[in-house]
Amino acid sequence: MTATLRIPEPFHPTSSPMEAARWTRRRKLATDLRAVTGRAYPRVIGLIREPSWLLFEILLPFLTTSAFVFVYRALQAPPEYVGFAVLGGAMTAFWLNVIWMMAAQLYWEKDQGNLDIYFTAPVSLMSVLFGMAIGGLFSSCLRAAVVLGVGTVLYDVVFTVEQWGLLIGVFLLTLGALYGLGMVLASLFLLFGREAWHLTQAMQEPVYFVSGLNFPVGRLGMLGFLAIALIPLAVGLDAIRQLAFAGSAAHVGTPSPEVEALILVAMVVVSLALARAMIHRLEWLARSEGRLTVRGG
Amino acid sequence: MSAPAAPATPSSIDDLPPAIEVRGVRRVYKAKPNPVTALDGVDLDVAPGELFGLLGPNGAGKTTLIKILTTLLLPTDGTARVFGFDVARQTTEIRRIMNIVSGGEQSGYGLLQVREQLWMFSQFYGIPVREGWRRVDELIDAVGLQEQRHQKISSLSTGQRQKLNLARGLMNDPWILFLDEPTLGLDVSAARVVRDLVRGWQAAVPGRTILLTSHYMAEVDELCDRLAIVDHGRILALGTPTELKQRVSAGSIFRLVLDALEGGVEPIAALPGVERAVLAADDATAPDGQTVAVNLQLTDDAVLGSVITALAAQDAHIVALQKSEPTLEDVFVELVGRGFGDAPEGDR
Amino acid sequence: MTQLAGSQARPQRDARGTWQERLLTWRTAVRLGWAVESNWADPVLFLIYSIAKPIASVLMLVVMLQVISNGAASTADLGFVIVGSALWAFVMGGIAGLAWSILDDRERYRMLRYLAILPGSLSVILLGRGTARLLIAGMGSVITLVVACLITGVPIDIGRIDWIMLLVCMAIGLVAVIALGTLMAAVCMQTRQDSWSYPEAVAGALFLLVGAVFPIVVLPQVVQWVGLLMPLTWWIEGIRRAVLPDAASGIGGVGSVWTDVTGTLAPDQGVILVVSMATTAMATLVAFGGYRWSERRARERGLLDRTTGS
Repeated sequence: MTATLRIPEPFHPTSSPMEAARWTRRRKLATDLRAVTGRAYPRVIGLIREPSWLLFEILLPFLTTSAFVFVYRALQAPPEYVGFAVLGGAMTAFWLNVIWMMAAQLYWEKDQGNLDIYFTAPVSLMSVLFGMAIGGLFSSCLRAAVVLGVGTVLYDVVFTVEQWGLLIGVFLLTLGALYGLGMVLASLFLLFGREAWHLTQAMQEPVYFVSGLNFPVGRLGMLGFLAIALIPLAVGLDAIRQLAFAGSAAHVGTPSPEVEALILVAMVVVSLALARAMIHRLEWLARSEGRLTVRGG
Repeated sequence: MSAPAAPATPSSIDDLPPAIEVRGVRRVYKAKPNPVTALDGVDLDVAPGELFGLLGPNGAGKTTLIKILTTLLLPTDGTARVFGFDVARQTTEIRRIMNIVSGGEQSGYGLLQVREQLWMFSQFYGIPVREGWRRVDELIDAVGLQEQRHQKISSLSTGQRQKLNLARGLMNDPWILFLDEPTLGLDVSAARVVRDLVRGWQAAVPGRTILLTSHYMAEVDELCDRLAIVDHGRILALGTPTELKQRVSAGSIFRLVLDALEGGVEPIAALPGVERAVLAADDATAPDGQTVAVNLQLTDDAVLGSVITALAAQDAHIVALQKSEPTLEDVFVELVGRGFGDAPEGDR
Repeated sequence: MTQLAGSQARPQRDARGTWQERLLTWRTAVRLGWAVESNWADPVLFLIYSIAKPIASVLMLVVMLQVISNGAASTADLGFVIVGSALWAFVMGGIAGLAWSILDDRERYRMLRYLAILPGSLSVILLGRGTARLLIAGMGSVITLVVACLITGVPIDIGRIDWIMLLVCMAIGLVAVIALGTLMAAVCMQTRQDSWSYPEAVAGALFLLVGAVFPIVVLPQVVQWVGLLMPLTWWIEGIRRAVLPDAASGIGGVGSVWTDVTGTLAPDQGVILVVSMATTAMATLVAFGGYRWSERRARERGLLDRTTGS
């Protein structure tokens, strides 16, 4: 049986390749934005289609956070420390998302044969990375909200917020800096190849520690300072902690939230610029050495 | 360094610059212990509207040339242009007017359904959301995946998968489509759909160009307006299939299908009057895998008698004998001195 | 008919293989797993990776302890936290090792389909593949224990270590960790590629239930009951008792379910071993039942050769 072929009509007819290649700025921007949507789409669909993540990425991590709450309870710590653990548990959602679903992802895309398609599509790879981030944020935000909401109610956490605007701003800046770092790491890890996978794992707990996930990072002295200067999770978490538990005696030895917000701004700018430069470098390497679009390299 | 100027918009297809213009392109891969030269001084021109084929065995350099033209790879030396746009510096422009489909391609995300997968790709080409869905449905109809529309792509068969890849390749209405072994691993029927669609799609708009690589002789012979025979990174011959076949010296060409040939073709090739005897590489020749197909070029029909005698001495029985016209494989053998099946290495 | 039934049964038994064949399969898979794991980095980076994670985890808890006690935490408290936390590295590595073998071989190397059609049992092959990570995790645990004790000044008196108790508990614990890893492998056989973090999520949740770094008496009673059914609770208690004879019990104590039910402040060594074995046996049964169900379902639904990235 021979099926009758229906050749699709040109959807956007152009008179010549030259005309087809000439895009307005608006069209270029619109395409990049659509690429963000396109890349976020499978992430969101994946979550809807396979709901096991509700157990493994929301309920179980909540129990992990609870473990730290009970450590503080066993130690009869002041009540705000329980809040620190809950806040830390909420923020880990974003860090985990950055390292597992951003940093290692380009490496995966290469293994799956998608990197070629992204390189040959008329979009910036930054859009693809943004898409990954937006798709990942969907589950991370839900996880963070559940840990924060349920943890607050269950463990009687009392927040004392005096500067809501700054708190929200710092939170958004933290996300920007974290996902900016994720973009940089994605490019770096693609270059590192297989080692990247292990670096992803190796970074998890050490970053939790130096970021003061469950305790005021100022207690780490110089190490804490270094973390605040270099790691978005550390500075973001400390600023959020200071703003969410205003007046707590636990906050010692770290800059004010305002200063930390400025550090975050710098991190966002630097990480995005670095990510852009890294992606250019990556593409150049891919094209000149021919190894990045080859599976399993 | 300022960006190179875009070629001026022509008034008609005839005024278009060459769809592909390759000059002295070399590509060397760093490898241990020695660098590998995949392309070694390639010159090539493909006119707008042509369906041009690159024919060569695995490792000939076909895929490397496609990667260079699709902006995935830089040439080590030389220049290459696609519709006048330089592959090294005007990548964005080229990406807006081309697409690529490779055989065995596994791109995409296994959890997505066929329709969703194509829609996702439509977004990478900036197609507005609703138009994207409409376009996706059109393409699904065109490639015949209506029944698989809502099937997860991880559950598609090889043929269905390749149809999906082709639909993705046509998503942005490219002016130039690169097809790298597009029918690799497909059955006859699925390969036919792919070929018909490609030809129909190209014919629909003047100026649409296709560069096809394949090691299926019959496919290249059937589809291509012109082709280049490539081996070890060099273009050995270039022309229409008819022109190339005319290059094979006059004589009698036979295709023999034998039940076995344990002594190999060498004793046959050494017979007086046998100009060439090689194992056929074309899969269609011995599809059951139980028989051995040999292409013979003889100075005269009368030499066939001594060949049959020699075969009988080897205890090889003739299953089929056909006098045939020269094929592209004969051309390849004439140029290279060996058959496709003897190619030494993996594809580059 | 009897003859026919016998001849039909034989190929099945043969297909599963003898114990010698399984051992050979396992050994080959261990070699493969080790080759894969040790292939990715130079030894220094490999060592850092193996110990950076567990040491960071221990340090985080030590700092929490010191912050609350204003730097005056007792060595007993520190020892309690350090032993539990160091052992947790082993749990984490063991569970993740087996589960990631599935994801690695299915999504990255695309080998699972070929492993599944080998004459050897797939579970034995996966066990072998996961053994390398288990070894690395075990090494990390020991190094973490030593380094953390040196940093914090927790004295471990080699002469007072109950070596028999330690070895028996380690053997039981190894079985328990493998059982949990097998269960996670069963889960990952059904889930998508993005489930890399699931094993750690499970290990993290168990961290709460088994009192790895705090006595379970602080947990609500219902949760304490769940903790008492976990083999890891008893394993950690046994190891802690063997290494730090003066450490507080993680299971008993005033107000604990254990004390309420038994009337004793803490279980003795015999009870720890018996309950440890019983709960481990239960976990093993559940794990291998779950795994067999999962493998059968994966074969039925063609999940062994899919790729599921998103």
